Amino acid sequence: MTLRRVAVTGLGVASPIGCSIEEVALSLAEGRSGVCRLSSSLRDRLRSPIGAPTAFDGAANFDPARIRQLDRVTQLALTAAGQALADARLDLSAEERERCGTFVGTGMGGAETTDAGYRTIYADASDRVNPYTVLAAMTTAPASWISIEHGLLGPSLTFSTACSSSSVAIGEAARRIQWGDLDVMIAGGSEAPLTFGVLRAWEAMRTLATEDPENPGASCRPFSLNRSGLVLGEGAAFVVLEEWQHAVERGAPIHAELSGYGLTSDASHITRPSVQGQARAMQAALASAGLSREKIGYINAHGSATPQNDATETSAIKQVFGERAYAIPVSSTKSIHGHLLGAAGALEFVIAVICLERRMASPTMHLDTPDPACDLDYVAGAARHGVDLEAVMSNSFAFGGTNAVLIAVSPDRGISRTP
Amino acid sequence: MSTLETLQDILVRDYGLPRDRLSPDAALDTLGMDSLSLLELMFKIEDGFHVKIPGEPPSDLRTVQNVVEYIDGLIANRSAKVPAGLAASEVKM
Repeated sequence: MTLRRVAVTGLGVASPIGCSIEEVALSLAEGRSGVCRLSSSLRDRLRSPIGAPTAFDGAANFDPARIRQLDRVTQLALTAAGQALADARLDLSAEERERCGTFVGTGMGGAETTDAGYRTIYADASDRVNPYTVLAAMTTAPASWISIEHGLLGPSLTFSTACSSSSVAIGEAARRIQWGDLDVMIAGGSEAPLTFGVLRAWEAMRTLATEDPENPGASCRPFSLNRSGLVLGEGAAFVVLEEWQHAVERGAPIHAELSGYGLTSDASHITRPSVQGQARAMQAALASAGLSREKIGYINAHGSATPQNDATETSAIKQVFGERAYAIPVSSTKSIHGHLLGAAGALEFVIAVICLERRMASPTMHLDTPDPACDLDYVAGAARHGVDLEAVMSNSFAFGGTNAVLIAVSPDRGISRTP
Repeated sequence: MSTLETLQDILVRDYGLPRDRLSPDAALDTLGMDSLSLLELMFKIEDGFHVKIPGEPPSDLRTVQNVVEYIDGLIANRSAKVPAGLAASEVKM
């Protein structure tokens, strides 16, 4: 069976480093961090009062009648998805809508609603639970609202595989197009975890970075000897995926071809990552793209800045790429946008496509002294421009061991896939 | 301020509804007030009018005027110091 090709025709973001593709590209080029000290209402009882919030005011974007039903996670999702659909300049007929699906990744769903509900019940000892609690908190709300808002009649699915959720959503969406089930997909992820309850839970696991007292924005230090953990971020990122001919025939802007998707499980430990699991996911992505490893010119690493991940991922990249690993720019943009959990993979895939289009390698910021176990080219400190890129890889590895890897290829390089 | 005016204030402030659409005969469903919105509105009525809603609110509130009358009933019950159990049985339909 010949698989159909998948075009990336729309990009949209609402992220700690910008709420438009142009803004995000500028933040990447300048290494501008979205990590900061959190507002005082959150930080009082936190050991590590930092996060990566998105400059997004829901009340300014949704009318009061509507916003009462929408958790922040859905507000962010609707905003980024709307941007991606506008970027794709899609005008779907009724018939086409039936072949258009909505796949969304989220780890926690409506965390603010859940937090508020528990506060009402337990802290305030009140019975006045908001009647919209279930509808706003359910993990399926972002996907449902996107399909409702845009009248998309194909399947609306939610993927929850912790930190790889939205890479899985995008990869599974691409497969539906490849297989011929659907023609157009809006796929991505959203997360809004900056509540006291969520932050405190992550802190309890000892995974959060300690604050850099001089520069809170530099607290997340992937691959660094003195890295201390991740910084939680919020936001959403979406892509429009389209069957190649469908995109060409309507003269759509094609940002990239989504050609590879690899998915594996570590099947070993609930938190400790596995070199084998990560390496197998990268190999599976290369195989599905029909690409030789020599073609990959940039890797957006998972790079969570936890002590375990960064050394493991470095080993896995070396295992897959051999000696060539040292010649590939590998960066963790989490150094500036933090860890968006269920939205991380989508944001980082969008960033990889931005890099591909603009011939840029995004930097890993705040990396002064690398861990000796992390000895690749991490594009430390500043973006690199004029990089000749044919294909880029984006890695997402999750607690629980679901590893997802996506590969995008430049649309004008005409790399032929080996079926 | 009349019950209607206070209710209108709540609907303008918390539901983003234009005041000129909030005439007494305005139908709640045409204002986008679904059943869950009405349940949520009950909390705001309790706060705004300093009343306690006993049990479930009635299911036949169709217009702004219906809500005004319901609130006036609650206020009257409060003033008459009717025991909560009795008030509940009266408003439950």
